[in-house]
Amino acid sequence: MKGYNGLYLMGNFPDPEAFVEASNAGLAFFDFLEVGVPFSDPVADGPVIERAAGKVLAKGYRAEDIFASIEKIACPPGKKIYIMTYANQVFARGNGAFATMMKRSGASGIILPDVPSVERARFENDFARYGIDLVRFITPESTHEQIQNAVPGARGFVYCISIRGITGSALVLDAETKRKIVYARKYSSAPVVLGFGIRDAHSARIALEHADGFIMGTRAIEKLESDGVSGLQGFLKEIAMALAE
Amino acid sequence: MKKLPDERGYFGEYGGKFVPETLINALEELERAYRAFQKSRDMKNELKNLLINYAGRPTPVYFAANLSRKTGVEIFLKREDLLHTGAHKLNNTIGQGLLSRFMSKRRLIAETGAGQHGVATATVAALLGMECTVYMGSVDIERQAPNVARMKLLGAEVIPVESGSRTLKDAINAALRDWVKNVRTTHYCLGSVVGPHPFPMMVRDFQSVIGKEAHAQMRKQWGGDPDFVVACVGGGSNAAGIFSGFLHLTKIKLIGVEAGGYGNAPGEHSARMRKGRRGILHGCITYLLQSDDCQVLPVHSVSAGLDYPAVGPEHAFFKDNEIVEYVRCSDKEALEACLMLSKLEGIIPALESSHALGYVLSKRKKFKGARVLVNLSGRGDKDMDIIRKETRI
Ligand SMILES: Cc1ncc(COP(=O)(O)O)c(C=O)c1O
Repeated sequence: MKGYNGLYLMGNFPDPEAFVEASNAGLAFFDFLEVGVPFSDPVADGPVIERAAGKVLAKGYRAEDIFASIEKIACPPGKKIYIMTYANQVFARGNGAFATMMKRSGASGIILPDVPSVERARFENDFARYGIDLVRFITPESTHEQIQNAVPGARGFVYCISIRGITGSALVLDAETKRKIVYARKYSSAPVVLGFGIRDAHSARIALEHADGFIMGTRAIEKLESDGVSGLQGFLKEIAMALAE
Repeated sequence: MKKLPDERGYFGEYGGKFVPETLINALEELERAYRAFQKSRDMKNELKNLLINYAGRPTPVYFAANLSRKTGVEIFLKREDLLHTGAHKLNNTIGQGLLSRFMSKRRLIAETGAGQHGVATATVAALLGMECTVYMGSVDIERQAPNVARMKLLGAEVIPVESGSRTLKDAINAALRDWVKNVRTTHYCLGSVVGPHPFPMMVRDFQSVIGKEAHAQMRKQWGGDPDFVVACVGGGSNAAGIFSGFLHLTKIKLIGVEAGGYGNAPGEHSARMRKGRRGILHGCITYLLQSDDCQVLPVHSVSAGLDYPAVGPEHAFFKDNEIVEYVRCSDKEALEACLMLSKLEGIIPALESSHALGYVLSKRKKFKGARVLVNLSGRGDKDMDIIRKETRI
């Protein structure tokens, strides 16, 4: 598939076995996997991902259980697993304890949507010691100065949040945001990847016109829930074919 | 002591700005506007004028003679229940409404638990000709129905929140999500000293009028300082407001009262200071009721306004530095205090405020002969259904 692309799945959703299978299926097409470690109050997420997180928590799965599943994913060389969770999951456990769990599971990057650039340092430095990348963000609100500060030292990839909004919203790239992506790519040695609102080949293509890659989340969770692993696999394959190099 | 928070929004180790990157510039814009506001004589005069002529400040300090005789404690009440709309919340929403206008944001959003902050926001929106959307958990919509009707009458849209525990915490989640979407046109009028910087500082400052007045009133009208100042702590805004007038007087003991609910197990209380540990929720580092898997725990209080798993970061700082003592009052003690104040003084207090009074009454031996100033943060009309149900009147 064209670009440097990520697939978001919720850890242990809909159950641990299906999650691991879906992850392996996803890694056949995508360059990285983003695994949600559920948090009770996911303020950056829309209803689909919030509900998935709620179901995983209601079954009694803890972060440790998610990491045990991640360990079972067959991550091909050159591909990568990121964790996506909220600041409290890391902070209240301690950065070192969380990073140790990640390391053991094979995950090597982390995305914390409620940790903006101004609060980054207290996490980034600790994680770097474990060889774990804390992903940096740019948004439609970012100024040129903020992009210049965020992007040059970025590791892994730069997460470009496509819209003012939460996961599961529709993709609308305004002209200003497109200019910001161009600007970010100029300064970044890491790929600039567009997330939020990528639901199908059409929106993925729009993302790839402007950015180095895309992340798909909400739609994948919906597919997995309604059509199972094979349904998701078929859906991802269609997208990969539509976006073949 | 150095003025807190620091420039990054920290009270010692607590506070900060843990929100999506998309909101960072809006928070900075808000802080700049607030600094400009503090320097502008015109804006300060406008706020002052509204507080006096619209909201009804100053509110009195009343010596509750009947209650004092009965209990052997000299009890003074700071009457925020007499403020327009029936609670201290309006002090903050008038300030933030003016700031929002200054930033040319014509839409206000708010979360609400007891409905008092929602009503206060809807009121200011009506006054300033702004659009208003209030998020409220569906559990709270049910138990604070009169306030829902008031918000609608004032022209606000009330959106029920059905996720999570369907109370205050979830209303804040929903408001934050709205803000991320509409950040260009909308001001999030946060109702307590919680959330990301600059809210804990700004809301405290807008509520500090309570403490400033009370301090002067005690000296001028009531023969001197109190020995104790007691306030209930939900997010902590009425407490932060009244404490701010007495912090410089180290002889005066400050007491913050949390909701003890009906038990010690998770989901039976909202005692963050007693049972919580450091965490991050809704934008700040603070004491948080959380499981050992670091998930936010369910909370309970008979009063919707104290039913919150986190607490303002400045209060967390006050606790660690023993500047304020944090204690608990149970549902039952609060209800008893509510009945007693109604019967003895003809004042029906909000169930939130009843926790502050309930602590003093249930520990009256500890306070024997002392002068105790209680912040009566609101009136109890909104709670009549619950009071009737719980006390079988
Ligand atoms: C009357 C009254 N008192 C107290 C509170 C608790 O809030 P805070 O702790 O911010 O004063 C509320 C909140 O809804 C309230 O309505």
